[in-house]
Formats: sequence, C-alpha cells, structure tokens
Amino acid sequence: MTTIRRFCCNDLLRYASVNLDHLTETFNMSFYMTYLARWPDYFHVAEGPGNQIMGYIMGKVEGQGESWHGHVTAVTVAPEYRRQQLAKKLMNLLEDISDNIDKAYFVDLFVRASNAPAIKMYDKLGYVIYRRVLRYYSGEEDGLDMRKALSRDVEKKSIIPLKRPVTPDELEYD
Amino acid sequence: MATKFGLAGGIPERKVRPIWDAIDSRQFKNALKHVTTLLAKHPNSPYALALKALVIERMGKPDEAFSVALNAKELLYANDSLLMDDLTLSTLQIVFQRLDHLDLATGCYEHACSKFPGNLELMMGLFNCYVREYSFVKQQQTAIKMYKLVGEERFLLWAVCSIQLQVLCGSGEDKLLFLAEGLLKKHVASHSLQEPEALTIYISILERQAKFGDALEILSGKLGSLLMIEVDKLRMQGRLLARAGDYTAAADIFNKILELCPDDWEGFLQYLGCLLEDDSIWCDEAVNDPVHPPKFVNCKVSHLTEEQFDRQISIASTCVQKLLADTVNNLIRCPYLATIEIERRKHLYGKRNDDDVMDGIVQYFCRFGHLGCFTSDVEMFVQVLTADQRTELLEKLMKVQDTLSAPPTKALGLSISFFKIKQLLLGDISTPCARDLEASCVQMFEMYCTNLPLSKDLDPQEGTYGEELLSMICSILVQLFWRTKDVGYLVEAIMVLEFGLAIRRYVSQYKILLLHLYSHCGALSVAHEWYKSLDVKNILMESILHHMLPQMLVSPLWTELNNLLKDYLKFMDDHFRESADLTFLAYRHRNYSKVIEFVQFKDRLQHSSQYLVARVETSILQLKQNANNIEEEEGVLQGMKCGVHFLELSKEVGSKSLTFNEDLQSRPWWTPSSEQNYLLGPFEGISYYPKEILTKDREAILKRVVEKKSLLPRMIYLSIQSASVSVKEHAEVNGSVTPDITSELKLLLECYAEFLGFSLTEAIEVVMGFHNEESSSVVSDSNLIDWLNFTVFLNAWSLSSNEFVNPEGNGCRPRIWNILDSLLEKYTLEKIRSIGPQLCSPWSGIELLIQLVTEPLAWHGLVIQSCLRSCFPSGKKKKKSGSAYHQSSSNMAHAITDSVVHLSHVLEDVMKWITEWMRKPEDENMENIFFLLNKDGNNDGPGKVFRMLEKFISSVNDAEFGDHISPPLKSWSPADVARKMISGKLRVLMEFGDICDSKWKLLHSLKQQIAQL
Repeated sequence: MTTIRRFCCNDLLRYASVNLDHLTETFNMSFYMTYLARWPDYFHVAEGPGNQIMGYIMGKVEGQGESWHGHVTAVTVAPEYRRQQLAKKLMNLLEDISDNIDKAYFVDLFVRASNAPAIKMYDKLGYVIYRRVLRYYSGEEDGLDMRKALSRDVEKKSIIPLKRPVTPDELEYD
Repeated sequence: MATKFGLAGGIPERKVRPIWDAIDSRQFKNALKHVTTLLAKHPNSPYALALKALVIERMGKPDEAFSVALNAKELLYANDSLLMDDLTLSTLQIVFQRLDHLDLATGCYEHACSKFPGNLELMMGLFNCYVREYSFVKQQQTAIKMYKLVGEERFLLWAVCSIQLQVLCGSGEDKLLFLAEGLLKKHVASHSLQEPEALTIYISILERQAKFGDALEILSGKLGSLLMIEVDKLRMQGRLLARAGDYTAAADIFNKILELCPDDWEGFLQYLGCLLEDDSIWCDEAVNDPVHPPKFVNCKVSHLTEEQFDRQISIASTCVQKLLADTVNNLIRCPYLATIEIERRKHLYGKRNDDDVMDGIVQYFCRFGHLGCFTSDVEMFVQVLTADQRTELLEKLMKVQDTLSAPPTKALGLSISFFKIKQLLLGDISTPCARDLEASCVQMFEMYCTNLPLSKDLDPQEGTYGEELLSMICSILVQLFWRTKDVGYLVEAIMVLEFGLAIRRYVSQYKILLLHLYSHCGALSVAHEWYKSLDVKNILMESILHHMLPQMLVSPLWTELNNLLKDYLKFMDDHFRESADLTFLAYRHRNYSKVIEFVQFKDRLQHSSQYLVARVETSILQLKQNANNIEEEEGVLQGMKCGVHFLELSKEVGSKSLTFNEDLQSRPWWTPSSEQNYLLGPFEGISYYPKEILTKDREAILKRVVEKKSLLPRMIYLSIQSASVSVKEHAEVNGSVTPDITSELKLLLECYAEFLGFSLTEAIEVVMGFHNEESSSVVSDSNLIDWLNFTVFLNAWSLSSNEFVNPEGNGCRPRIWNILDSLLEKYTLEKIRSIGPQLCSPWSGIELLIQLVTEPLAWHGLVIQSCLRSCFPSGKKKKKSGSAYHQSSSNMAHAITDSVVHLSHVLEDVMKWITEWMRKPEDENMENIFFLLNKDGNNDGPGKVFRMLEKFISSVNDAEFGDHISPPLKSWSPADVARKMISGKLRVLMEFGDICDSKWKLLHSLKQQIAQL
C-alpha cells in the first residue's frame, strides 16, 4: 500500500518518524537540496494510507565512461512499515531509473561494516561487496562499497571484487 | 572568462591560486600575507582588493572588510579602461553577501551588464543576484534578455519560473500566467521542448489557469514522450482529466496506474473518486496544508442515483478482484484495503452493509494483522461504525484471532494489533475500570517478556519483537494516573520505558514518552538528556523541537535552553542564507519544478511559528540572564535597539500568516500539542487518540502570546528609563523631563492591559484593589505572571508620570510600590506553601514560581537598580548641586530600602524551601519512590507491572536471551532510575536556587549602597 512519488521539500517536515531512527542520518539542508536540485528522479518517498511517510530513498547518478553509475546515498523505512520489503521496492526503483533512463553501468552504495542487517538485505537484493573502504565513517569505522551490475554492463565487469581494501582518498566519488 | 576578458583584473592565475588555496584550507593569515604581496604589485586592482576583503571578512573583521570591498567596487566603477570580469564580480559578490549587502553585489553586476550588454555570463551572474534577492520581476526581465540573446530553452524557462514565482510567492496576478503560457507556446511552435521539467512547468502553468484540455493535448502529443517515468505521466493525465470533469477517461487512466502499481493506494482512491464522480481528493490538495495532510480520506456522499452508484461500485469491485487475482506478492496490501474502502463508500451512501465493513476489517486482520501498520491502515474505516458495532467488531476479531495459527513472531504481531485496535475501538477510556486497565498492562508486559527470546539473535541495532507493547503499557499507565492522580503510575511508566531502553537503547518512541514523563515530574535535566539522545538536528529541529522547548522556556536550565535556541536559530538562519544559492543550482540543472518548491519552502520556514517564538524567547532569555546587572542589561537592550524591533514585530504579527511545522503525531496522547496537557486538568475521559489539531485556533493563540511577549523588551527599557528620571524629576522645579518615555510607556501599558482583558484605567483599578484582596479573583495561574509584569511596569511608569495620581503609601514610596512588593511576596509564598518537598508533586506550580522570580521580580529588580543609580550619579558625571536633589535622592533611597528588604525576605523563603528539598537524604527519597510502587505489597493501585518486571529480571538466564539481551537486563537497576529521577529534579531546583541566590546577593549589595547614601 504504497504510493511512491518524488520526494519534495515538505516531506522533510513530515519524515520525523523515519529519521528519528538512529541509523538514519539527518543531513544538512544544502545536502538534501543539492540532491533535489540535481537528481530529483533519484529521491523518492513512499506514502501509506492516511498520508503516512513510510520511507524514502535518495541517490544520484555520476561518473564517467564505464564508471557511470547510480549511487544510493540513503534508504530508510519507518519502524512501523518494516518487514514489508519496502526498501527493496525503493531500491528497485532507483535501479530501474539508473538502468533504463540514465543507462548506467551499475548501482553502488556504502554501508557500515558493522551494519549486519543492512548488508544482509543488500546481499539479498543482489549487491556484492566490491571493496572495503578503510575508516570511511568519520575516520573510525570501515565502510563496504557494495555494487550491483546493470544491463549495460553485460560482462558484469563493474562488480568484480577488489582484492585489497582502499582508503577514503582513493575513492573516485564521495 | 578570464581569458575572454583578459586576466582577472590583469593578474595571472598562478599569482592568485595560493590565495584561494589558503582560503579553502581556512588559513586566513597565510591568505592575507599573499594578498598583501599581491596588492603591493597591483594596488589598484579591484580583484586583489576583493580578495583582501574576502580574507578579512573570513578573519572576523566585517567592518574593515566592508570598507575594502567598497573600495574595490569604486575602483571597478571608476576606471572605464578596466575590464569587468566575472571572477572579480563573483568574489565581490561573496563578500557583500556575507556582509548582508546583497544590494551592493547586485549593483556591481547591474553596472557590469550595462557596460557589456551582450555578455551572457555577466547576465547569468546578474540573474543569480536577483535570485538571491527574490526579485522575481527583475529575474524575469534578465532571463528574457538572455533568451532573446541566445534563444535557449533554459533561459525561457528561467523567465517562466520567475513569472510563476511572482504569482505563487509574490504579488503577481494570475493573468501573468497567460504571458508565460504565450512565451512557451511560441517557443514550442518554433523549437519544441527538450527537457522533461520544461514540460512539467508548461503543464502546471496551464493547470493553474484551469486549461486542462490544452494541457492534456500537449501531454498526449509528441511532447508527452519527454516524461520518461510512465506512471508519473499517467498520474498527471489522470489528474487533468478528473479536474476537467472527464471522470470516465480519468478512471481508465487510474485503472492503468493500478495495473502498473497494484499497491498504489492513492491511485486507487483517485480511481474510486473518478468512478463516483467525486473530486474531493483533488480539491483537498489545494486546500490542505501539505505538511499536515488529512489522516482520513475525504469524500462526498455520492450524488449518483442508486442504479448509477451500484454500477460504478461494481466496476470498482471488478477492478479490485482482478488486482487480487493478479497479486502474487503476499505483501501487497492495497487491493485488500480497497475492498474495505468500497464497503465504506457503500456505507456512506446509505447501504446497510455494516457487516461487510466489519468482515472486510476482519479479513484484513487475518492477512495483515501481524504488521505494525495494521491499526493505522484500518483506522479510517472504524470511524463509520457505531459504538455497538465497534464492540461487535472486537468480538469478531477476538474470535478469529483464536483460530489463526501463525509462527511466533507473526502471532505476537497479531496480538499487538489486537491490543491496539482494542484501544482504538473502545477509544473512550472511561468504559473499563482501573482494574481492567491494570490487568491489560500486566497481560501486555507478560507477552513482552515471553516473546523477548524471539529477538535473541537479532542485531542489537534492530528493534526487538514486541517493542510497541512497552509504549502501549506506558500509555495506559498514564491514563491510570490521570484517572486516579496516583503518581505511582507515572513512576511505573518511567520504569517500564527505562527497562525497554536498557534492552535496546535506540527506541525513539520510548525516549519521546520518557522525556514528557520526566518533564511532567520536573526532572527536566533527565528529560533533556533523553532529548539529546534523539540526536535532533538540522530540519528535524523544526518538526521535533516542540517536544522539549516549551518546558525549557519556563525552566531555570538557562544554559541548555540557550543551546537549544541558538542551534535552532542558526539552522534556520543558515538555511535562509543559502537557500537562494540552492535555488539557482536547481535553475542551472534545469529542474524547474524544484525552483518553485525551494522558494515556497523557504517562505514556509520564514513564516514558521516556532521560529518566531524562538526569536522572541532568545531575547527574553538574554534579558533574564542579565537582569542582575543593570549596565549589562542595558547593553543587551542596546543590542535589541532598545526593544524597538520587537515592538514592530508585536504590531506586525497579527497580520502575518504563520506556518506550523511541528510533527504532532509523535506527541504522546496526553499532550497532543504543546499548549495542551490533559494531565494538568481533571479526568475527562477524552479519547486519547490524537484529534486533528485546529491550526487556525493555535495560530490565533500563539499570535497573541507573541504580541504580548514582544512588548517586554521595550517595556523593560522604558521602565528603566522612567525609574532613572524619577529621581531627577523630583529635583526639577517644574518636573517635566521626559514626556516621551512616560507617554510611550503608558501606551504600552494600555496594550498590555488589553491582553489582560481590561482598559488601562480598569487594570489600574484592579491593581489598586490588590492591597485589600478585592481583586484576587481576577488572577489565576494562567495570567499571574502577566498581572505581576503589568504591575511592575505600572509602578515604573508611576515614578515618572505626573498623570498618574499615586496616593502616597509608605513615606515617599508610592502606594503602588507597596502593592507590587506584597503581590510578589503573596504569590511566591502561596506557591511554596502549596508545594511540599515531595518528589512527584506537580511541577506546574514550581514552573510558575520560577517564572515569578526570573521575570516580574527580575524586572522589578531592574527598576530598583535604576532608581538607585540615579541617586548615585557616577563620578564622571557632573554632580548636581543643590539640596533639593540630595533630598530627593535620599527620600527615594529610603523608600526603596523597604522594598529591598521585603524582596530579600521573599527570596530567603524560596531558598529555604529549596534547601528543604536538598536536605532530604537520598535514601528517604528513594524509599518514597518505591513506596509509590509497592504500597506495602497492597494489591490495589500502581506497581503490578513493576513487580512483574522485578521478578522477570531476577529470573533471566543467558541461554534464553542471548549475549545481546541478557547482560543489560541483568545489570539494569530500578534504583538507578529512581536515583536519576531524584537527581534530575534536584538539579533543576539547584539551578533555581542559584538564580535566587544571585538575586538575593544583588539586593544585599543594593542595601549596602543605600546605607552609604
């Protein structure tokens, strides 16, 4: 029971039930607005009956050549609406847009190495650990760069795991 | 740019690079060094000067930076041979923007554009300047110029957006849209459109003019293919058709949407709306506040004939049946809920199908009852049932629940939903007796404990199964408190939630409930700790701060309050500063609909009621904090332009429209908005499911509060002035020193009296009647502080006014002064006598006491300080000679001595009262708290859940609960919670004690000063 539509500024005033979750970061305004101004098709919200915000996904598309890819910056679901595969639905939407509209090669995301439930979920959605990024989170915790190849990457080259971990300054994109 | 127009002010790039690098890495001293070197070589380069201004500003010297920037600007204007380059202009622009002189930056670009009329980059810079200034008309003119110059689609859209902004956010009339439409039409005819967002804007312009047919034609033509997401296009088409009244075609479109997205609930409602020719859903869009959309689907009772209605409903049913048949994913809820919605519509039409509505809900329960959202999903359908039907439904659900077999996690989910829907159906809590409520708490707690092992292997960051049970128990315990006034229930609720947080420390729902419970008990510092642990930052402050701010405003925790206000205002002001640049980013990336959205959102925040309150309260806090030192207070007042700014605000606020952006849904049932707290009143059995809050009512109340509070800074300022001239005036022969101050204060007193519901004359009569208790009935807890403030200012006015015939009281001391002192004494003593040092005594009385000392008493203290200061002209000033002056000073000094002595005693009493609290041994306090829960093992009253909780903890074994749950359970101690409650409350009282002490010391020093006179 989900109406998925583009995220808009007013949703920022309605998403408290989602963002009070401790693993969901509340970014500063320029961060959200930059995403909205540049990649509005990558920022979607799911609404349930009674106009309740169920969850949202924000992301972007960037890169050059075969690195042209969709990126998931955040995906989160309110506690009340968990265990209904909503995150999957939102992820699929972003993958579809990256694949069909922007013709990207892959979709990637970063996740805390300690966030086992999320890693498990991404794994189920077909994401593989491409590489480990040392001390990615505030210089403390490692991050995992997980990827899923899209139809344009016929040989699935983009997801062949790297053998060694990288440091944040080796990353091509933030 | 630099290459096209020569170098940046004639300076090679390699020379300026180190400066920018140093600025970027915040090494401003280093940057300044480089700039100085550069300026030695290029003393008249506007670019070098602009860089210098930029560096100096970043070093925190705004005045100097401003003068350097002006210098750069003059050079830029003066020397015609110099080339205007964007680099210089944009650098200057940054400086002027940071110095809040957008107009000067705009001026520079205007000048440059007039010199180089064909330069597109400069024109874009100028457009950006207008975006920053929200000058929509000038934006439009500049964009049109650019469009004429190069004919690009994007500039046309910049112009169109600027027109739309004039209509939506400015004072532009709707007919301007016709102009925008014309521009677009012409462009489309010659060039078509390239960007999907351009099409979206085109459609929205037509839609706003109600040209639905034209919009549909465009959408179904070639241009329609620009919209890549099929569903988005269909939604647009469906809406346009419906708004055009072509419901049949619209229904077909929404049917298509449902085929593509069978779970799209809104899509279904729109589909049904079209079938029944009911446009409420689209009308609501225009009327409703987008931040607080209605919880329930609005619909009209259908005007269709019964035959038509039946036919349409049968079409809807067929569609839903097909969706159900096609549904392979068992998590798709929409078609199932749709069947209930169809029954609801039939019910509203007058069909007697109550059983069908109930059956629909029962079926939905069987399928989705285990989900956390079950109750909120079906909430709207329950509304159509009568009380008897609700009971019947509950019985049906109970029966069916017994027959359902499900794995343990699902079974738990079903049970929780059952409890929740039971609360929803029996909404009015007056029905069950206290004992039943207690029993259901016990049952829920048992369920929580029994099922806790299910979460054994979950990651500690994941929620546990059955988490909601503890919040539900808390809700019922608070109801029991409201009903019985037995604070034991509140303590029990706190224990239950703290216990839950020991198992999982991230449950925000528990934290919010706890912070309200602790606030209610006065353990504000603990409440604040829980608030902090929610990590409320950035935009969340706008929607969540209301949980903490109101109680902090009347607390003595000034440091914490100051931080809350400062962080919030910084966030808002930063947003206002950067919002326009982000709007320009949307222009550049051709996301035109976001341009409109950003400007509207900024407007919304600028009109935020909370922002308004925060601004006023910040100044009042400053005044409270500095009230013990008149010189510092005057400094603060100077910073507020002697209160003039707030006075203007007070006048304006009535005509302003305010926005309310709080997320009220997250509030506990007993305080649905910050202005309401059921627990403070008698038990009324109000259904505790939050009602829709009427924004209009809140707006009217809040405006009056702000109007009144905004008067304070100016009234304090004028009171100080009035008191200081009073002594001098006594010395004047004809005594008419400052008619302006006196008459202005009188005017404000008139306004203030109006807030109390009286004319000035009447209010004065009330005050004069206080001395013989004639007027006591007028004063209540809700207006006490206002009456006292009024009396303080009235007294100050009487000191300089010849108009006010003030019967002499005690010697030279006006009688009103006597009245004020005794009022302050009376109400303070009344409060402290009525509140015994019990830890769970109601906090609202103490809040009033704190306000009394930190507001009227503090303002009165300033009046006294001002009087005294006038008796002691500073050494630098030439002393007035003549015995009349000394006589007057001395009279005044003696007159205020009594007051100082009087107020000192009042404060001593308060401090003594606080000491009583502090003196109690911790053991005794703890004992009292646990006594509230155990009551000697008596079976009645609070403590049942608590006793189970204690038993449960003592029986925990590692194997059953695993490594994540077992250790925190074992180490959790109710005694620690009790200790925290006590220390939290004492900490607040201690802070209050410190405030009283500082005021007492001030009075003491004043006494010494008088003695020297």
